[in-house]
Amino acid sequence: MSGLQTVAVIFRKEIVDALRDRRTLLTVLISSVLMGPLVLLAISALVASLEANAEQREIVVAGLDRAPSLQNYFERQSYTVRAAPSDYEALLHSARLTDAVVVVPPDFEPALQRGDAPIVEIVSDSANQRSQASSSRAARLLGGFSRERAMLNLAVRGVSPDVLEPVQLEERDLASTQTRATQITGMLPFFVLMAVLTGALNAALDTTAGERERGSLEPLLMNPTERWALVLGKWGAVAGVGMLIAVLSCFSFLPGQWLLRSDTLAAMFQYGPREALLFLVVLLPFAAAVSALLMAVAIRCKTFKEAQASTTVVMLAASLLPLINVFSLGQESAWYLWVPALAQNLLMTRVLKGDAFGFEQIAAPLLVCVLIATVSVWFVARHLRSAAVR
Amino acid sequence: MIQIEHLAKQFSAPAAGRKGLSFKRTAPRIVHAVRDVNLHAPDGHITGLLGPNGAGKTTTLRMLAGLITPDAGRMAVDGIDVATDTRAALARMGLLSDARGLYPRLSARENIVYYGRLHGMNTEAANARAEALAQMFEMSALLDRRTDGFSQGERMKTALARALVHDPANIVLDEPTNGLDVLATRALRDSLRWLRSPAGGAKCIVFSTHIMQEVERLCDSVVVVAHGRTVATGSVPELLAQTGEQDFEEAFVKLAFPEEEVVA
Repeated sequence: MSGLQTVAVIFRKEIVDALRDRRTLLTVLISSVLMGPLVLLAISALVASLEANAEQREIVVAGLDRAPSLQNYFERQSYTVRAAPSDYEALLHSARLTDAVVVVPPDFEPALQRGDAPIVEIVSDSANQRSQASSSRAARLLGGFSRERAMLNLAVRGVSPDVLEPVQLEERDLASTQTRATQITGMLPFFVLMAVLTGALNAALDTTAGERERGSLEPLLMNPTERWALVLGKWGAVAGVGMLIAVLSCFSFLPGQWLLRSDTLAAMFQYGPREALLFLVVLLPFAAAVSALLMAVAIRCKTFKEAQASTTVVMLAASLLPLINVFSLGQESAWYLWVPALAQNLLMTRVLKGDAFGFEQIAAPLLVCVLIATVSVWFVARHLRSAAVR
Repeated sequence: MIQIEHLAKQFSAPAAGRKGLSFKRTAPRIVHAVRDVNLHAPDGHITGLLGPNGAGKTTTLRMLAGLITPDAGRMAVDGIDVATDTRAALARMGLLSDARGLYPRLSARENIVYYGRLHGMNTEAANARAEALAQMFEMSALLDRRTDGFSQGERMKTALARALVHDPANIVLDEPTNGLDVLATRALRDSLRWLRSPAGGAKCIVFSTHIMQEVERLCDSVVVVAHGRTVATGSVPELLAQTGEQDFEEAFVKLAFPEEEVVA
């Protein structure tokens, strides 16, 4: 039998073995097939509630009856004015009230008449995220009220209101809709990377440390098979499981999109078959490399448990490296592309932003993956024999 | 036919007994697992490799399987040198090692056929062979069950069938009766006798054990190994005559532990 046939026999057995493992199968299902829709659902629920809050033209005021001029202004801005409940501080604190409360002092109107600048409080709780959002809205609204009063006062004295605004301000945002969306969808690449890793982990450990623990590695090596064929077959199967998860999770975002409840998010999150394929271009080499690496770490371990402890380092590195990109706040350095996990995260984020990447960008991570896979497979082949008898 | 001549292997064991919190490593201890093992096992013959625990039986068989490279000595299977042509030698042997782990998520048949495929058999041939072996070891009913819940004896039979799937001319078994009950041991003995007979293929069978009764009942000749050396070779009556004992156990103790004998 030729070496390649042997590889095929081993590959088939390992794949069957891995897919019969309920633990692996469950990880596959939960981490990849369900993950896409679930993450999108969570994000869309969050965005939808933020949007609902933003669209709500409502303001909560305590002591409304003391400020008819303020109420008049709010209503002219087409806001609905609601009276604050008496225990609004407690409610805000426990996040049961999601709007900031405008507190009007008792002598508001007389002070305003005298030109004494009465103090209006906006009460919110910074731990209560949504009250924060409405707090800035209330501040803007009150600022408008102040400006209007000021202009009226000036106009009465015959001064042009333009004096108050020597500079005109206009904002222009260069980010495309998709770029803005990545602020929210930016965590997706990370989830996909972790899914591939956890999926490959069980299979990688089972074919190396698991085989040692069961005592099946020694008899296996008593077959007249080439060692490289054995390792390639095993690696192929583990990488196959990792790639299967990559494919499933990448395509699970496609149906996941239908679940998006927010129209804005649906418009911003452009993820079609093209994006899924680009994701795969990035992920498949990564799955292959990381499978080999996990096997190389695990082959030195006598038991499954020991191997789990040892591979924690790999898992930790893979989950921490993408954070470099997060901490640098969008500033990318050229060396990022040479760091595994970070490079994949970067490229996938780029795909989500709607930017394409060329061969120059994928070349570096690809080379790193090939290198990791080659060294790891060589390492496993080298240590297979000594691992079998110890 | 299996020939082993002047086989030797030493390991450097990691040094034990660090003193207190000192991180200084003491020099590794050299362990002579095998010093001088000689064995000649002809075809149609059951050769017993008898020795106490730690005598070097398993290390010897692992070297025969090419898992450990010997420091010195020569091993040949049907004239094929194990050191230079390990794979060809392995193809002519059915090895049941000390470790006999099965794949718990595969059925007994899948376990057996997998090894057949690795030996270059096609699926049909491997399947047919699995069924024939299952009949021989009386485990046909188990064949399509996953090996997960197998008893010790059932595991043993599956591992043995797996080792014999390619119908090897040479069969090497490392303590095959470990953990088997009386009935299973008897069945195994019958199978081995049949494999030795011309009808069963006149196989060359090497059988390592530390149990006297096994050797007395089954082996045509015995190689006694102690402290990594072959200390005696011959049939059971020959060894009895050599030591002047009536009881084989006494003869074995005399051969394997001459110094203890003096003390006693």
